Amino acid sequence: MANTNKQLHIIYGDGDLGVGGDGFHYLFSYSRGGLESLVIDGKEWLYREPKPTFWRATTDNDRGNGFSRKSAQWLGADMFSQTTDVAVKVNDQAIAFPGAKTNNQYSNHEFSEKIEVIYQFETATTPTTNVSVSYTVTSDGTIAVRVHYQGNEKLPELPVFGLRFVMPTAATGFEYDGLSGETYPDRLAGGQPGTYQVEGLPVTHYLVPQDCGVHMKTNAVTIRRDRTKNNADRSERPFRLKFEKLADPFAFSCLPYTAEELENATHIEELPLPRRTIVSILGAVRGVGGIDSWGSDVEEKYHIPAGQDIDFGFKIRKG
Amino acid sequence: MTPDIKWLDDPTVFRVGQKPAHSDHQAYRNNDEMAMGQSGYVESLNGNWQFKFAQDPMSRPQDFYQEGFDSKDFDTIKVPQHIEFAGYDQFHYINTLYPWEGHAFRRPAYALDPKDSGAGMFSQANDNHVGAYIKEFTLPPEWKDLPVRVQFAGVEKAMYVWLNGHFLGYAEDSFTPSEFDLTPYLKPGKNKLAVEVFKLSTAAFLEDQDMFRFFGIFRDVTLIAQPKVHVEDLSIEPVPTADLKDGHLSVSARLVGQVAGTKVKLTVQDAAGNQLQSTSQSASDHLTITSQILKNIHLWDNHQPYLYQLVIELDDSQGNLLELIPYQFGFRRIEIHNKVILLNGQRLIINGVNRHEWDCRSGRVITDDDMKFDMRTMLDHHINAVRTCHYPDQVSWYQLCDTHGIYVMAENNLETHGTWQKLGQVEPSYNVPGSLPQWQAAVLDRAKNNYELLKNHPSILFWSLGNESYAGDDIAAMNHYYKSVDPTRLVHYEGVFHNPKYKSHISDVESRMYATPKEIVDYLEHDPQKPFILCEYMHDMGNSLGGMKSYMDLIDKYPMYQGGFIWDFIDQAIEVNDEVTGQKVLRYGGDFDDRPADYEFSGDGLMFADRTPKPAMQEVSYYYGQYK
Repeated sequence: MANTNKQLHIIYGDGDLGVGGDGFHYLFSYSRGGLESLVIDGKEWLYREPKPTFWRATTDNDRGNGFSRKSAQWLGADMFSQTTDVAVKVNDQAIAFPGAKTNNQYSNHEFSEKIEVIYQFETATTPTTNVSVSYTVTSDGTIAVRVHYQGNEKLPELPVFGLRFVMPTAATGFEYDGLSGETYPDRLAGGQPGTYQVEGLPVTHYLVPQDCGVHMKTNAVTIRRDRTKNNADRSERPFRLKFEKLADPFAFSCLPYTAEELENATHIEELPLPRRTIVSILGAVRGVGGIDSWGSDVEEKYHIPAGQDIDFGFKIRKG
Repeated sequence: MTPDIKWLDDPTVFRVGQKPAHSDHQAYRNNDEMAMGQSGYVESLNGNWQFKFAQDPMSRPQDFYQEGFDSKDFDTIKVPQHIEFAGYDQFHYINTLYPWEGHAFRRPAYALDPKDSGAGMFSQANDNHVGAYIKEFTLPPEWKDLPVRVQFAGVEKAMYVWLNGHFLGYAEDSFTPSEFDLTPYLKPGKNKLAVEVFKLSTAAFLEDQDMFRFFGIFRDVTLIAQPKVHVEDLSIEPVPTADLKDGHLSVSARLVGQVAGTKVKLTVQDAAGNQLQSTSQSASDHLTITSQILKNIHLWDNHQPYLYQLVIELDDSQGNLLELIPYQFGFRRIEIHNKVILLNGQRLIINGVNRHEWDCRSGRVITDDDMKFDMRTMLDHHINAVRTCHYPDQVSWYQLCDTHGIYVMAENNLETHGTWQKLGQVEPSYNVPGSLPQWQAAVLDRAKNNYELLKNHPSILFWSLGNESYAGDDIAAMNHYYKSVDPTRLVHYEGVFHNPKYKSHISDVESRMYATPKEIVDYLEHDPQKPFILCEYMHDMGNSLGGMKSYMDLIDKYPMYQGGFIWDFIDQAIEVNDEVTGQKVLRYGGDFDDRPADYEFSGDGLMFADRTPKPAMQEVSYYYGQYK
């Protein structure tokens, strides 16, 4: 049936909440704990559900001052945190969780202006803490994402905090509106504001692979791909997805590897062949430090204390 | 003179038969050569040499230097090249520990026991590899009857040299030229030069720099002819007047050969080539020419590296031109006034880097293009100073610094880190040179080699006594040496920080490495006696260089804080073909089965080893650009 009123078409499935509109269709999974599918103009943007990210591949300075050892719990959290709850709001009103059989009340003709799906994550740390990730879809297909980290001062300082997207194929490049070069909170004075095109998914060739490619103070980043994994899609025409600031600029990295893949390599050539795109939208980034590489800490104001809440948000839409 | 393998063990023997160190001036036969920069008095011996590698001194070919020696089982090696890059010996990177750590027990001769001469420590050691080199050459016919020397610009770490079977001498100090007179033994037709290079000697205790450990002939080898009269050494002293408006120029020269009847002409030109002055006089063995006062001089500094040129011309009694020597010089004044270093009356701010000579495809054998690239990179990113860590560089680097206004901290070839710091603790029980009399002459010789070679470069503002060698009477003697020969420059040394009782004897500046901003403030707020410099800071290992602002803010707050040298300019890593993919990749310590190693600790550059800039470079460019 034609969606003539430009509202979102909501499909109250048993395992997924479908949200469709003009040129887009999203699936919010109940079983897999996150946004399982993000299709725009027939192109899938997700390989796995976005998850909170807590780890950065150990830098030489992190190793030298023992930070990674002290904060090692966050590596486990980065890999193994789980979803504990899903809630849905329609037009800002909470509804009863629309799983089976509650959802028998719905039809294939359900429309709304706005739908919000909120996932709760519990970190794989001792003690645990919680992260909520909320997706608000409006009728033009824009997704506003809001991420909240609940502070717990019993936990060690965080290496990073953000939301990590894994895309099915390697991007051909990206464009961003932010600072030139690779920047960190304590190394961004030389970054020139502007719009920058990056070809491919460059990994900075530090002798030992380590966290890299962070771009601070970003207003928007647009990822460009030209392939999908869909066997029936042989097009090589580029297609794009845009991450935009909601209120405040964000930080991001766009790499072919997860922090764990970078962490495990001792040389650039040991990294796997680039197959996917890992976009991390970051709400908090720890500085890199630089006094020395054998003990001196990053300056205090560039730490991420675990005891304070962290909130950030951004929008996703067709690029 | 008979060579003795025991010299390898003896710290008191470090130069035998060498010509004295002298300035790096170049003589030309005529104006055309001078204009082209190509002297008919030099002939390169770079290229293919015969070579034999031996595992240790005991198994080395003993008589290969003799005429008539059958060298048919010798290989061919390229000169200059590290023997490791030629594939004979393992690459090895280690930082502070000596490269024999865990493989051989060694204590420096005389360090623990005044009777321990160290006999056999290197000369009988199975980890002391040997390279035997042979080069045959024929002199250009026009050099007939001229004195000829051979110059080795850099050989690690100890070498014996012969010509046509005659022993010429022995040299250590790997990073300054060693010259031997060939004249007495030259023959018409083919001559045979033989060089025996040892990986280890007592010099190895003095060259414990944080770098890949190489050996072999790694800089140019050159035949140098000289006319019947020759300026052997040149000392140029341009001194601005107190008000910095005018300048005095004094040139002294040491002449060798048949000096009587020779005329010396000295001309001075401005940067545009206009002749400002010209004087002539009869030559003498030790000659001093003082120019008339030069009015309204242009000063030399980073912003305007204004260079004058002098030309010394020697003519024989018939008026025939013997040699022309051009040299560029600059007027500048470096001084400490009210505990602040001033250059030309202005507070000096050092936006510096430490620079190892490095090329990922050839190690410390670097090309003119490498140097030009490095200079361009410094200029592009507002870097205004370089510390030649931790040895003298190729001389053309200092010329580039003169031309482009890069301030130089000219460091001696000295580091003995493994003798006084162990597992991070200061433990100088067997430190050399310390206050040991047997080691003092060797380090003074290194100071002299550095000074005599480079003394005429306006870019050099500081002599640096070396790196991380602790402090004692011997380093104090080096400090005294520089003060006695060169009142116009400052002396720098950091290691005295660990032995403060020598502070009044060593270093004009308070130098630290990796001090935190808070520690620097602590020094500057508590009755500081010397201006403060960071000879190393912002350790740019991997993804680093955060927090630079905290250092740069000190410049505005404390006049005695005068900046520093970032560690460092370029990663040291070696390009190889990956054994799995065949692609070119960069490898570091431990990747060559070399143990013990310090792994990626040599990857601290603002540039990767392939000379692409690291992302941190834009931060350096920004902050250094703020204090131009």
